[in-house]
Amino acid sequence: MMGVALRRLASALPVLLLVSLITFGMMRLIPGDPAAAIAGLSATPQQVAQIRADLGLDQPFLQQLVHWYGGLLQGDLGRSILMGRGVFAVTMERLPVTLGLSAYALVLTLLIGLLCGIAAALKQNTIIDQLAMVFAMIGISVPSFFLGLVMIIVFAVHLGWLPTGGYVPFAQDPWGWFRSVTMPAISLALLQAGLLARITRSTMLEVMRQDYIRTARAKGLPYHQVVFRHALANALIPITTVVGIIISLLLSGAVVTEALFSIPGIGQLLTQAVLNRDYPMVQGGLLLVTGFLVLVNIGIDLLYAVLDPRVRYE
Amino acid sequence: MQRSLLASCRPSAVAALGLALAAGIAATPAAAAPFQCPQRGGDLVFGQEANVNSLDQMTSSTISTRNIAMNIYESLVTRDENNRPILELAEKMVESDDRLTYTFTLRSGVTFHNGKALTSADVAASFDRYKRIGLQRSTLDNVDRWETPDAATFVIRMKVVQPTFIEALSSFSVPIVIIPAEHKDDAPQQLRPVGTGPFRLLEFTPGAQARLGRYDGYKPNTAYEQATGFGGYKLACLDTVTFRIVTEASARVAGLETGELQGVEDVPTKSVAALRGNRNVTVLPLENWWIQIALPNTATPPTDNLNFRRAVQAALGAEDIMDAATDGNFRLNVGFQFPNQPSYTDAGKQFYNINDIAAARRFLAQSPYKGEPITILTNRDYPAMYNAALVMQQQMKAAGINAQLRVVDWPTSVQMSQQVNSNEWHFFHSGWGTQPALGALATMQFLASPGANYRPRDDKGDPDVEAAWNDMNTKPTEAERNAAFARMQQLVMERALAYPFGSLTKVQATRANVKGFRPFRIPRFANVWMER
Amino acid sequence: MSEVLPLAAAPEAVERAPKRRHPALAALRRLFRHRLFLTGLFLFGIIAFLAAAAPWITTADPNRLSMRNKFLPPGGDYILGTDNFGRSLWSRVVWGAQLSVIIGISVVALNAVFGTLIGALAGYFRRVDNVLMRINDALMAFPAILLAIGVTAMLGPSTMNVILALGIVYVPRTARIVRASVIVLREMEYVQAAVAAGAGHWRILRHHILPNAMAPMIVQLSFLFAYAVLSEATLSFLGLGAVPPTPTWGNIMAEGRDFMRDAPWIIAIPGVALMLTVLGLNMLGDGLRDVLDPRLRIQQ
Repeated sequence: MMGVALRRLASALPVLLLVSLITFGMMRLIPGDPAAAIAGLSATPQQVAQIRADLGLDQPFLQQLVHWYGGLLQGDLGRSILMGRGVFAVTMERLPVTLGLSAYALVLTLLIGLLCGIAAALKQNTIIDQLAMVFAMIGISVPSFFLGLVMIIVFAVHLGWLPTGGYVPFAQDPWGWFRSVTMPAISLALLQAGLLARITRSTMLEVMRQDYIRTARAKGLPYHQVVFRHALANALIPITTVVGIIISLLLSGAVVTEALFSIPGIGQLLTQAVLNRDYPMVQGGLLLVTGFLVLVNIGIDLLYAVLDPRVRYE
Repeated sequence: MQRSLLASCRPSAVAALGLALAAGIAATPAAAAPFQCPQRGGDLVFGQEANVNSLDQMTSSTISTRNIAMNIYESLVTRDENNRPILELAEKMVESDDRLTYTFTLRSGVTFHNGKALTSADVAASFDRYKRIGLQRSTLDNVDRWETPDAATFVIRMKVVQPTFIEALSSFSVPIVIIPAEHKDDAPQQLRPVGTGPFRLLEFTPGAQARLGRYDGYKPNTAYEQATGFGGYKLACLDTVTFRIVTEASARVAGLETGELQGVEDVPTKSVAALRGNRNVTVLPLENWWIQIALPNTATPPTDNLNFRRAVQAALGAEDIMDAATDGNFRLNVGFQFPNQPSYTDAGKQFYNINDIAAARRFLAQSPYKGEPITILTNRDYPAMYNAALVMQQQMKAAGINAQLRVVDWPTSVQMSQQVNSNEWHFFHSGWGTQPALGALATMQFLASPGANYRPRDDKGDPDVEAAWNDMNTKPTEAERNAAFARMQQLVMERALAYPFGSLTKVQATRANVKGFRPFRIPRFANVWMER
Repeated sequence: MSEVLPLAAAPEAVERAPKRRHPALAALRRLFRHRLFLTGLFLFGIIAFLAAAAPWITTADPNRLSMRNKFLPPGGDYILGTDNFGRSLWSRVVWGAQLSVIIGISVVALNAVFGTLIGALAGYFRRVDNVLMRINDALMAFPAILLAIGVTAMLGPSTMNVILALGIVYVPRTARIVRASVIVLREMEYVQAAVAAGAGHWRILRHHILPNAMAPMIVQLSFLFAYAVLSEATLSFLGLGAVPPTPTWGNIMAEGRDFMRDAPWIIAIPGVALMLTVLGLNMLGDGLRDVLDPRLRIQQ
C-alpha cells in the first residue's frame, strides 16, 4: 500500500509541474498592473509609479521564471505582492476556513444525499422515490450563487435568522461561526447532495439486484440487516469515489460561494489574487491547492482499495 | 527670532495650523470641560465594504487600510474636521524665519500600545522607515535631514524652502504614522501594529475582520476639548470595535437592520429611504465622497483636437450622469474642490454641465471627426464609474459621436490609461476621492506632468497648465497659491482636459444607539459611545 | 461552476452489440416515449424559442436607458419590470437567453471537435497518450472556476473569450471520456479484426471506433450544454463574462445584486430562467442517457 501511495505521488509530480508552468505563463499574460491594484482607488499616479518601481516588476519573463523555480526548490513559494507576507503562510491561514466550510458542506451532502438516495432506492417507484429524485434534479440544476442570493433575501434580509455575510472565526465564537457558514454550506451542498442522491439510488438498485442480496433475503435475514450490512456496504464502494470528486467540487464551488458571502477562504484569496495580479500568490497558492487535491484523490484511491478487496494496485 | 505656532499671525502654513487650532476650540464653545464618555463599554461591529490586505499605514494607500489603521496610529501633524493641518503628537511647532527648519516639541506622557513612552527617537525612526519604504516618500524630497536634540524635540531641516511642506506632511493619504523605534526595520506591509492611538489591535483575520480594543494608557491631547478630524481630544469609550468585511451592499444593510452590525459604510441609495424610516437606524450622508470624472486622451486623434473635446464637453449633461452614477445621491459641483473648502473656486463654470446638443454638433463640425469609433474606458469594479460611462456614451451618441464602451477591470483600466501615447482609448472614467478632500494641491497632482491624467503626447503637459501648477507649489502665500489653482482649473476646463461631473455622496449609517459618530471619510471611533 | 458529472458516461457503456436496423429511428421512438426527456425538451424548447425569436418578441432595446422608469416592478407597461437604469427586463432576459444558447452551442461544438480529437488520439495512439493525458491532468487539476477566471482575465472579458475559457476548462474532461471509450473499443474483437485485415488507423478510428463511442459522447455533451450555460452565468455574475452592458443572465444578476433587498425581481427573473434552462437540459440528458446508454440509467 505504501509503495502504491509513493508511486501515485511520483506520477503526480509532472502534473504539478505543468500546473505551475501553466499558471506562471497565464499570469504573465494577463494585462493590468499589480501596482494599480495595490494602490487602490485613492492613489495618485505618482504613488502608483512608486509602487511599480518598488516591486521591480520589470525583470524579463525568463529571469522571473528561473527565480521562481529556484525559490521553489528551496521550499520558498515566494511572497504575496499584495500582503507582503509569505505565500505559504497566507495560504495556510486561509485553507482552514475553506476546509471548515467544505467539511460542513460535506456533512450536509452526505446526510441529504445518502438519505434521499437510500430512501428512493428502497421505496422505488413510490411517491418517496419521485419526490427524492425531483429534489435531486432540482439540486443539480440550481446555480449555487442564485441559491445563495435567494437564501440571503429570505433568511437574512426578511427573516433575520442568519447573518447576511461576513465570517466569524471558529476559535473566536463557535456559534457565530456556525451561523455565518450555514447558508454558504447549504448553497454549496445542494448541488453535490443532488448528485450523490442520484448515484446512491442507482448504485443501491444495482446492488439490490445482485445474486448475493437475493440469497441473503432468501435465507430469511431481516430486511434492515440485508439493506444495511450487505447492500449499503457494497454500494459504498463506488460512492467513495464520488465523494472524492465531491471534495474537489466543493473546493472549486467555494470560489463563488466565498465571494458571495464574504468568507475569507482560499477561493476568495486566489480570486482576489488573480484580479489583483498578485503573481506569486496565484502561483504558489494554486500549486498548494492542486497539490492538496492530488493528495485527496490519492487518499480516496487508497480507501477504495481498502473497501473493495477486488481492487489491487499492481 | 522664531515664531511659535500658537503666536503666529503670518499667512503661511504656520498660520493655517494656528487657525485650525482656534477653530477646533471655537467649534465647542459650550464645552467647559474636555469630552468625557457619557457611557463606557460596549462592542461595536462595523460593516466594511472592501477587503484589507495589510495594516501597514506607511505602505498602503487604500481606503480600507486607513479605515482601520487610522484608529490605531497617530502622526506628528494631521488634519482637522475641515482638512486643515493641526498638531497631533506634537504640542508645538516652530518654523524658523528662513523657513528651512521646523522644530516640533512632542506632547509629554504619550505611550505606545506596548507601554513604551514616545520619544523623538521613535519619531526619527518612523521618518527613517517612511523615507525608505513609505509610499508617498516624495513628501520628504525637499528635506535635508532630521535631528533629535533631546527626547522631546524633533527637528526637520529643509534643503529648499517649500511653502506647502506642512500641508504635504499632514496629508492622510499615506500618512507618516509614528511607530516605536524598534519597528523601524519591519518589511513593507509587515509593520507590527503598535501605535499611539486610542485603540489598539487585538486581532486581525485577513479577509474577515480586525478587532480593536480600547487602549487604557491613551493620553488625550489636552490642547483640545473635542475630537476634530483625525486629531483633537480623543477618548475611546467603546470596549472593542470590530471591522467586519461585508462586501455585499444588501448584506450590510440587512446586518444593520437586524442589529448584527452597529455601523456600516456605503449604503446603496435604493436602501436609504427604507433606513430613514427605521427608528433604530441613523443615516449619515457623507457629502463630497469623490469627484466623478472622465478624462480625455489628448495624445491620440480625435481627442487631441480641442474642438472635438469641446464637442463632447458640450454634449454632456452632468445631472443625468451623476444621477446614474449615484442613483440620485449627488451634488452638482464645478471643478476640483468643494464649496466648503478654502481654495474652492468655480473658475471655468461656463464649461460645466452645458448639455447643449446643438453646440456639440457645431464644435463637432469644426473638428476633424469623421464618425470613427470613440472608446470610453471604464470598469465594473466601481459601479459608479461604469454607470457614468454608460450615460456618457448615450449622450455622446445623441450628439452624433460613435461612442463605444470598453469595460475592463480596474487594474487594467489604470494600466491602459497610464500608457504614454496610447491609441487604445479616448476617455477614461475615474473617481477622485481622497485627494480633493486633502485640498487643491493634492488634487491637481492628477493633472500635472509626469503622469498627467489627460495623457498629453510624450507625457509633456500643456505649458500653461504646468506653469499654473508650478505656482501652486511655490508661491509663498496661500492667496497666491489659491489664485494659481483657480487659473489651473480655468485652463483645464477651458481646454477640456478633464470632465468633472459633480460630487458623489456616500452614505454611512449606524444603529440609533451609537452616539458621537460623525460621518467622515474614514470612520473614527474615538469619542463614540453606545447607549444601552 | 459545475464540473462534468462523473456519471455521464463510462467506458463499459460501449460494450454492446452493434445495432441492426434503423437504430437511430428506434432510439428516437423510445426518446419520444420518455417522459423526463419530453419535459426537458419542453423546458429547453421554451428557452430556445425565446433565444431564436428575440428580435421579434422584444420591442425595447435591451440596452436603452430610461432613468425615469427605473425599478419598475413586474406587471404594468414593462411585463417583467425594469432594472436600475430603467431597461426592460423582458428584453434583457430574452436577449440573455439568446446569448446563453449561443455560448452553450459553441462550447458543445468545441468539445465535440477537440474533445473527440484529443480523446481519440490519446486513446488510440499509445505514444501520444502519455503526453496528452498529462496536459489533460494538469488542466483538470485546477479548480475549474479559477482556471476559467484566469483565462478570461488573460484574454479580456468578451463573449468569444468566455467560450474559449469554457472550452479550455471542459475539453480535457470530454477528451478523457472519449479516450476511455476508445481504449475499450480498441481492444474489441471486431476492431482487432479490422487491424488484422490491414485497415489504416484513420479508417479504423472513423468507421469502427468513433461511431460506437458516439452514444456516451452525446449524453456527455447534453450535460455539458447545461454546465456551459451555468458556468457562463457564474462567470458573468463574477464580472468576468461578456462585457456589460451586454445582457447576459449573469450580468443582469450581478447588476441587480445591490438592489436585491428592495428590487428582488431583478435577480429573481434571470435566476429562474437560468434554473429552468439547466433543469431542462439535465432532464434531456437523463432521457438521452436512459435511451442511448441503458446501463447507466439512474432514473427508472
